[in-house]
Amino acid sequence: MTAAAEAPVRPAPARTSRLGPPLSFLRLLRIELRRSAMPWLLPLIAALFWFDSYRPSTGQPPLYVLRTFWNMGQGHTIIDFGPFVAGLAAWIGSRDGRRRTADLVTATARPRWTAQLATWAGTAIWAVAGYLVCTSVMFAVYASQGVQGQPPWWWVAVGATAVAAFSAAGFAVGVFWPSRFAAPLAAFGGFLALIMSSQTGFHDSTGWALILPTNSNGNFQPDSGLLYPWLPDLPIARIMLLAGIAIAALGLIGLRARICGPWTLWLAAAVTAAGVAAAGTAVGLASTARLSADGIVIPALHDAASDRPFSYTPRCGQAAGVPVCLSPSYGRWLPEVTAALGPVFSEVAGLPGAPVRATQVGAVYSSGEGGDGQSMTIGGQPRVLSLSLGNLSLPVGTATVFADQLRLLAVHAFVGAGNGIGTPAQQAVQAALLQAAGVPFAAQPQLLTTNGLPSWAQAASNGPPGPATGPVYAAARRLAVLSPGARHAWLAAHLTALRSGQLTLGLAPTTANPAPKQARR
Amino acid sequence: MNIELSELTRRFGRTYAVAGVSMEAGPGVFGLLGPNGAGKTSLLRMMATVLPPTSGRLRLLGRDPGSPGPRREIRRRLGYLPQNLGYYPGFTVVEFVEYFALLKDMPPGRVPRAVAAAVEQVGLGDKAKAKLRTLSGGMLRRAGIAQAIVNDPDLLLLDEPTAGLDPEQRVAFRAILRGLGERATVVVSTHLVEDVGAACSQVALMDAGKVVFDGTPGELIARGEGSGAAGDAPLERGYSAVLAAARSVPATRPAAGIQPGPENRA
Repeated sequence: MTAAAEAPVRPAPARTSRLGPPLSFLRLLRIELRRSAMPWLLPLIAALFWFDSYRPSTGQPPLYVLRTFWNMGQGHTIIDFGPFVAGLAAWIGSRDGRRRTADLVTATARPRWTAQLATWAGTAIWAVAGYLVCTSVMFAVYASQGVQGQPPWWWVAVGATAVAAFSAAGFAVGVFWPSRFAAPLAAFGGFLALIMSSQTGFHDSTGWALILPTNSNGNFQPDSGLLYPWLPDLPIARIMLLAGIAIAALGLIGLRARICGPWTLWLAAAVTAAGVAAAGTAVGLASTARLSADGIVIPALHDAASDRPFSYTPRCGQAAGVPVCLSPSYGRWLPEVTAALGPVFSEVAGLPGAPVRATQVGAVYSSGEGGDGQSMTIGGQPRVLSLSLGNLSLPVGTATVFADQLRLLAVHAFVGAGNGIGTPAQQAVQAALLQAAGVPFAAQPQLLTTNGLPSWAQAASNGPPGPATGPVYAAARRLAVLSPGARHAWLAAHLTALRSGQLTLGLAPTTANPAPKQARR
Repeated sequence: MNIELSELTRRFGRTYAVAGVSMEAGPGVFGLLGPNGAGKTSLLRMMATVLPPTSGRLRLLGRDPGSPGPRREIRRRLGYLPQNLGYYPGFTVVEFVEYFALLKDMPPGRVPRAVAAAVEQVGLGDKAKAKLRTLSGGMLRRAGIAQAIVNDPDLLLLDEPTAGLDPEQRVAFRAILRGLGERATVVVSTHLVEDVGAACSQVALMDAGKVVFDGTPGELIARGEGSGAAGDAPLERGYSAVLAAARSVPATRPAAGIQPGPENRA
């Protein structure tokens, strides 16, 4: 075929200005946002969020750290959003293949990657906005319920980044496999990844596994956001991992669109490499993590300023004349605490080492192992009972268990049993003091089991709680039947030996011979 | 010249879809006729820069589309309507056209006016806010044409543009083509010879991956006169006569759908 006319080629149209590409991208994004399918899915996700993330959390005491441990610490908000977002993003990513618009898009001047990024951004913005709205509504409801403490904003950021990462990964699946099966495949893959993350978290509480987004080990400390700040170390590492995954997935899409030219190929390769590097660095950082007194610390990311506890004006009450002061966040439980400690303080009043004041401190952990430390200690001069409520089962309905728990810990601290189970004599004295403070012998084995302690009636630590029998309880009953004055006198005489572990069960008082000297070794 | 092809071939596996096509074209409307499987769509896709040629030389708008920079420049000045128009059902007509205007690197400030003009030009002004999923097949085709012409292209490639259009729209569309052909190169691939007769100043007929006729519509009509070829209209008789003549000559090149002999393999 030859030309019908030999007219000169028209001059090229004017190029867009320097602001043209970003403006064009924003206008593409506006169209994608307006026509995205994601808003249609959000009501379904919101309903799931309500039933899976919010409702179960309301069974927890009204503290942010406890309410959000379920839905953010264990990653339920991510589980609710991730698979659905990945599936729909895959559906949208496969759009050009399913709708046969690939030729149309490829024949345009802008790299196809640009159009794909705009489409992904439209999807991701809706998904992340949906996540943030759901979380904000949940926090607003918490606030209306008087939930105390600081919301875990860093963990909200982790969840939002996870949603973006799932959208990017799902979108890439759709681009690389443009079929109707892309969406269910991506959704199932996302769900499987989260389940594997949770399962790994159940048995790997240290090292690289901490990076997994639904690994709940050690990431929510009991007094985070109450007595000290939420540590951002682990959230930052997880954000790095998830952002790295998102960036790598988007880079891979660009690699596929290499026909646009070498610069696109190099840029896409660089983006992919940056994403992989960020994710790899995050895993490496997580493997250096260690548990500190107030959260997971990653040395390379840690800011010592985060360790400073909050300053606050305590709320105080009286328990048998002893001032008891708590953080305002725990103020609602002040009546229960004073009522529980009152009988114990009455019983030990005037004895050597008896506390003249009780004050709340943050939960303390065994160094590097993540185990709970002693929840109550007595120290200083004059003696002060340091009270950590973060490790306790705070009352939601009945306060009986909570009160018994407080009494147990108070007598445990008073006899100087330390962080262990105490000597048999210390156990007997604790049992007798508990009986006197309103916790009958018969209820004590169950109380010990509830607190993870071996029964004082049994030699073995395993097995169900049995009756309050055995040598410890025999000695405890001998002490308990004494008149308050006699018991007080006996304790005054033997406390030093008792606390040093030098008192034996055989020297416990009898009704026939309660003299202090006979009980001494 | 806006289009310069020399010995252009495209092979899919061992099958030649386009087997050594040469052509040159400046501004004007060119008809590309041929039976199913003749290679028209593959040729158009190569000219649309979405399908690289297997061999041969291709220059569009004075540039080599094999290099990224020139290819991008070609695409800025290209309009393309594929045979199977893909579309996004949730987009409105205006959004669909705007989407491609932006991808064609048009200055964003000029896009709204250009989109409105293109939509009006194809007669979809009253459906501008309608979602594509609500449009008939013919209206969708017009939306596709609107996205192809929105950037006022210098090279417009239309694959079966009038399929699904009603007679009134077809007549209007031919007028649009004639107008565009005054300043740009318009290549129209079609089965409908009446479109060629009404709108094209030049026509090529393809069969089995090769151009078997190249001339004006009048010359094609002349080839059918007195040939006894089947057809209701003069152009159809010319079309049939040329195809019959081409098929009676033994093939010297590998043809579409035909496995080449060892001597013809690339």
